[in-house]
Amino acid sequence: MIKLIDLTKVYKGFCAVDEINIDVKAGAIFGFLGPNGAGKTTTIKMMAGIIKPTSGQIIINGMNLAEKPSAVKQYVGFIPDRPFLYEKLTGFEFLLLIAGLYRLDHTPLFDHRISELLELFDLSHWKDELIESYSHGMKQRLVMCASLLHRPGVLIVDEPMVGLDPRAARLVKGIFKEQASNGTTIFMSTHSLEVAQEICDEIAIIQTGQIVAKGTSEALRRMAGVDGDLEHTFLKLTEGKRLGHEKFLSAH
Amino acid sequence: MKNFYLLIKPRFFAFRNQLISSKGGKRKRIFILGGLGFAFCCGMFVVSSRVLMHFQSVEVIGDLVARYLLSMILLTFFSLLIFSHIITAVSNLYLSKDLEFCHSTPVSVEELFLSRSFFTLMDSSWMLLIFGLPVFMAYAYVYRPGAGFYFTLLHMNLAMIIIAAGAGILITMLLVYVFPAQRTKDIIMFIAILMIVALYFLFRFLRPERLANPDSFFSIMEYLSALKAPQSPYLPTQWITETLWDSLTVPGGKNHMFAVTLTWVTALSMVVINVWVAQAVYIAGFSKSQEAKKRHTVGTKILDVFVRCIKKPFGEDLGAIIAKDLRTFFRDNTQWSQLILLGALVVVYVYNFSVLPLDKSPIKLDFLQNELAFLNMGLAGFVLSAISARFIFTAVSAEGEAYWVISSSPMRLRQYLWGKYVYFLFPMVFLAEVLVIVTNYLLDVTCFMMFLSSIAMFFMVLGIVALGIGFGALYANFKYENIAQLSVGFGGVLYMIVSSIFIAIVIVLEAGPVYILFTSDASGTTVTAFQWLLIIASFLMVVLINILAIFKPMKMGLKALREYEG
Ligand SMILES: Nc1ncnc2c1ncn2[C@@H]1O[C@H](COP(=O)(O)OP(=O)(O)OP(=O)(O)O)[C@@H](O)[C@H]1O
Ligand SMILES: [Mg+2]
Repeated sequence: MIKLIDLTKVYKGFCAVDEINIDVKAGAIFGFLGPNGAGKTTTIKMMAGIIKPTSGQIIINGMNLAEKPSAVKQYVGFIPDRPFLYEKLTGFEFLLLIAGLYRLDHTPLFDHRISELLELFDLSHWKDELIESYSHGMKQRLVMCASLLHRPGVLIVDEPMVGLDPRAARLVKGIFKEQASNGTTIFMSTHSLEVAQEICDEIAIIQTGQIVAKGTSEALRRMAGVDGDLEHTFLKLTEGKRLGHEKFLSAH
Repeated sequence: MKNFYLLIKPRFFAFRNQLISSKGGKRKRIFILGGLGFAFCCGMFVVSSRVLMHFQSVEVIGDLVARYLLSMILLTFFSLLIFSHIITAVSNLYLSKDLEFCHSTPVSVEELFLSRSFFTLMDSSWMLLIFGLPVFMAYAYVYRPGAGFYFTLLHMNLAMIIIAAGAGILITMLLVYVFPAQRTKDIIMFIAILMIVALYFLFRFLRPERLANPDSFFSIMEYLSALKAPQSPYLPTQWITETLWDSLTVPGGKNHMFAVTLTWVTALSMVVINVWVAQAVYIAGFSKSQEAKKRHTVGTKILDVFVRCIKKPFGEDLGAIIAKDLRTFFRDNTQWSQLILLGALVVVYVYNFSVLPLDKSPIKLDFLQNELAFLNMGLAGFVLSAISARFIFTAVSAEGEAYWVISSSPMRLRQYLWGKYVYFLFPMVFLAEVLVIVTNYLLDVTCFMMFLSSIAMFFMVLGIVALGIGFGALYANFKYENIAQLSVGFGGVLYMIVSSIFIAIVIVLEAGPVYILFTSDASGTTVTAFQWLLIIASFLMVVLINILAIFKPMKMGLKALREYEG
């Protein structure tokens, strides 16, 4: 469903993402882990079509993002790491904006869908307030609402749990699982290893722009040769290039 | 005071880092801007010394006029300084993003207040340097005073800036304190209205048109006494004018201890009063301004109907963006209050035409009127560029950090940019035609000129708007602190320059053929084939340049947006 082929991003001589290859099956939840500054957000922004890759391909649902950007974006739902929104709109007006951008028909059924989603994310009482008065977590939930509005086949999510209270985090986990069981493919970066362990079918660990390990959490554990939970595995797998990785990168 | 130094240090570091780390492109920008600023200063200097020399050659009243001009300049500077201090004080003392951090550190109120006031003073008075220095130097060039003048100039101007800063900051603090919390952001609106009123009074106070027209006085004596009359003995600018003027013209300089002392005592007591007031109300005001975010929207019904009408012809996705833009515009006080301000600017512009003593001009010819019509077109074009530098150039950047919503949506960027273009085109064409037709009417031009300028203006606006959107996309910045600052940044200034050049070229190309037609009409000769060729060639050039001005910047902007990577 999602295919990244030799995907590379170079920022002014600095290689943030270095020829990564990833293949995600339809209906799977794919976890993308890695230390700070590893290149997760960069990869995800490229997949969402916000920044252009320096080289390599992104193929989603059999379509190349570079060739058919509109069709791919229509198929994808995107949740960024920080919920920057139009502060002077109300939550409801923001959802209408999204509906317009994705060319959703304005039918009674659609209105029903909006109120259903607002209810799901516990935002019904806030829908007519300006977004500038929302808290961080509320904005985050509104973004999730917006990304599900057009029933995407692929969800691309950057650190979904940041700023959510335990109840909302639980809710989001549930929604992701349900979406996946309905056939939606989810590509998710996260720092929360429990979340990764709990809901991801497959995990990749990226470090200094390169994939250092890929597989189910079971396979990763075997690869690292450690017992115990994913935390040990993660620390073991990412310890190698920790020191002096700046030097390593600037050699590129 | 150690903390004061600590608090202002980050700014210097940021400035230094910018200078050091800027390589290639950035450094080139700094040079270009510096060069432009220098050229501007030189131009100001040449023009002002010309004017002053002209005055000096006039007997008796020459010096008086020069002195009157000096007091007018100082008064204008002083009021501009107070305004700009109010505006920058609001953002430096209450709205700036790093304030939350500063208030959480254990520094004292006085130190925090003084450091923020220092930024305010820096931010709002550098303009004075750029505009004022060449003018004062022109005075020095023409009157050749001793070294004492430069010293007086330096410390008197410093005192004036401190007084203006004190007044501006004091007004801001009191306004923020007095207004209820939910309305803090409306203060900007309030200030805008205040400024319009003040602008009006300044104009009435100075009455610049009477200088141009000595006939309006009954006798030369009256004219002289009007010039000599001090504006007001209580205005600091009056004391400064006196001191400066005497050190300019009287060799050795008269002793102005009283005026100098008065000025400095005022300046220093301003500082003390400000610190007292800050101790009393600054913290309370800051905490209030943090609550300023609105929860409830007002007037939503009317806005809804209005938005629905406008967005209809744009289709679903563009319509959604336009609805968003309109709502944001009307809910953001800082935006539409600036529109009011610009409106006032336009009124002043038109007003100036209505008081022009045209009928007193010695060369009363149709010709002059038509020349003026071209000049008028240029000026109107410039006013339009200034307006679009604030609203159209910033249209793309106005998406701010929420730009990901657009760029991750299936909407095509080409459609997005052209949609913005069409959206701004209508109000701009309307404004342009109103400006040109009203001023041409006041100038009493011929029908032919009226027709020609309204057509030409229409096509010019097509270019001006496209340049604005294109350059705005080319120099898009989604991470600004304050959007108004973008239009005076590199991209904005570059846009103003390119747009002015475009306007100048179009007008020159159009003025040629009109001149040919008018002279042949006046002398009764027929236009030769060669002249027809020239006319056609220049009109073709106009069309070509217009097409270039519309499509080229849009294309460049589109490419830049596609490759934008934050
Ligand atoms: N606009 C940019 N220009 C230059 N370098 C950038 C830019 N954005 C990111 N980088 C660099 O690219 C690298 C990867 O950044 P990225 O944001 O993808 O990391 P991340 O894995 O998302 O980290 P985190 O876990 O902290 O979110 C970092 O070293 C960062 O400094
Ligand atoms: Mg990240």
